[in-house]
Amino acid sequence: MPAKPLPPTDPWTEPYWTAARQGKLLIQRCKTCHHYVFYPRLVCPHCGADALAWVEATGKGVIYTYSVVTNNPPSAFMADLPFVIAVVQLAEGVRMMANIVDCDSAALHCDMPVEVTFEARSDEITLPQFRPQR
Amino acid sequence: MGTFKGQVAIVGIGEVPTGRFPERSAIYCAVKAAQLAIADAGLHKDDIDTVIPTTALYNAKFNTDLVTGRIVEELGLRVRNNLQLFAGGATSAIMLKVAAGLISTGVSDAILFVHADKLGSGVSGQEGIDLFSTAGISKEWEVPYGLHYSAVAGLITQRTMYETATTAEQLASVCVSNRKWAQLNPLAMFRKPLSIEKVLNSKILSSPLHAYESNMLADGGAAFIVTSAQRARTLSERPAYLLGEGSRVTHFALSQEPDMTRFGYAAAAADAYAMAGLSPADIDLAELYDSYPIFQLIALEELGLCARGEAGSFVLAGHTWPGGKLPMTTNGGMLSQGHTGAGGGISILIEAARQLMGKAGERQVPNARFAIETATGGTYVDAHVTLLGNEIP
Ligand SMILES: [Zn+2]
Repeated sequence: MPAKPLPPTDPWTEPYWTAARQGKLLIQRCKTCHHYVFYPRLVCPHCGADALAWVEATGKGVIYTYSVVTNNPPSAFMADLPFVIAVVQLAEGVRMMANIVDCDSAALHCDMPVEVTFEARSDEITLPQFRPQR
Repeated sequence: MGTFKGQVAIVGIGEVPTGRFPERSAIYCAVKAAQLAIADAGLHKDDIDTVIPTTALYNAKFNTDLVTGRIVEELGLRVRNNLQLFAGGATSAIMLKVAAGLISTGVSDAILFVHADKLGSGVSGQEGIDLFSTAGISKEWEVPYGLHYSAVAGLITQRTMYETATTAEQLASVCVSNRKWAQLNPLAMFRKPLSIEKVLNSKILSSPLHAYESNMLADGGAAFIVTSAQRARTLSERPAYLLGEGSRVTHFALSQEPDMTRFGYAAAAADAYAMAGLSPADIDLAELYDSYPIFQLIALEELGLCARGEAGSFVLAGHTWPGGKLPMTTNGGMLSQGHTGAGGGISILIEAARQLMGKAGERQVPNARFAIETATGGTYVDAHVTLLGNEIP
């Protein structure tokens, strides 16, 4: 079975991954139009300005949508079955893909409050993940 | 935005059976489909001046053959242009737009579009899943979380069920509707009767998606010819005219889609209806891109053919079946005809033309004048709406 995939990082996304290793969820905020931005970009997708600053997210959000994967996953995820994949909407308004961990999958629902947690996938890469708010 | 209304038409179509045919090569499918389309148009091969193959996904080397003129040589064409055009599942819609542009400006007169792929027998089932767990999925932000196409459909279906009260039974009925049409389609991969119970009793892949709600990768080949409306009238009594088109691209990474229950269809449809001078009440046929049943329900609603939240009960009531008031995806779609890659959408476009040209045999919809068609690529990144008719309103 292939190892679970690691994200190919870019120089401008390194601060995100460095923070994740330290247990912090960073997102960007535009200094010109003040919109929050995720995933990390080179330019603001709202106003086009070249002025994105890093800010620490609250780490709180809700499940926009989710799916419990029980069959036919990518090879690298075969041993993880069943697992939950979700789109989480952070309190700041931006959305991100993540797994919902430490949960009863039968109790999940859209708009359920969740909070960030972290999964060390390799020495270099820690993935932000989410679990039901406690 | 300019208008293409009534300027070009599909005059010939060709398609080989979809399914798993290990001994049948992809180039055979390409050549046969092209030959059928040229003959169907009543043209001679030397009338084609531009050939536009799309991408074959199963084998990069075969695809390079297509880019570098293999179809031209195999068929002995005398063309000025050979180029590849690919927009994933939305390729069909992009092909028509490019045809309209090239023909209305005089660059081309008769364009042959060709697709052939071997995703059914040319790759294993798991290779297919793995191919589609990275194709069109963000390597940095989504692949590490195990996103793949069943999960994409699961995520979209889950949110839509939550917002609109669409039921599992209604979703299953979409698969049954498609299958009823495929039973009348000799080119389809799956032609045995299918029931709602059978769909709901199949295993869950990515909740709430059942196995029978997932398309099956297949081998196939399809081709069509577009020419000017003026020339089309000399070739065919009932060519399929391009009457209107509209489109929106709304995301790359699925998590960035602003509304997974709507996508960009409403705005795209508004543009298409305006260009054609048609409204939802004029539509005789809904040739909607499936791949998963949720996308046909979303399209029915966003195209104004059903009210929000009512598409599921509309399909469950049988209105989209053979004999129903709004025949939908009448080749059986990717759920029943099979998913050939970019060809899945091309087969749906060809079906719209086939019906309008009166060549659909046992499943011919009587007196069909106007068809609406959708196409979308990747993780449903774009919404394309095309209006076709056998008359120009
Ligand atoms: Zn900005």
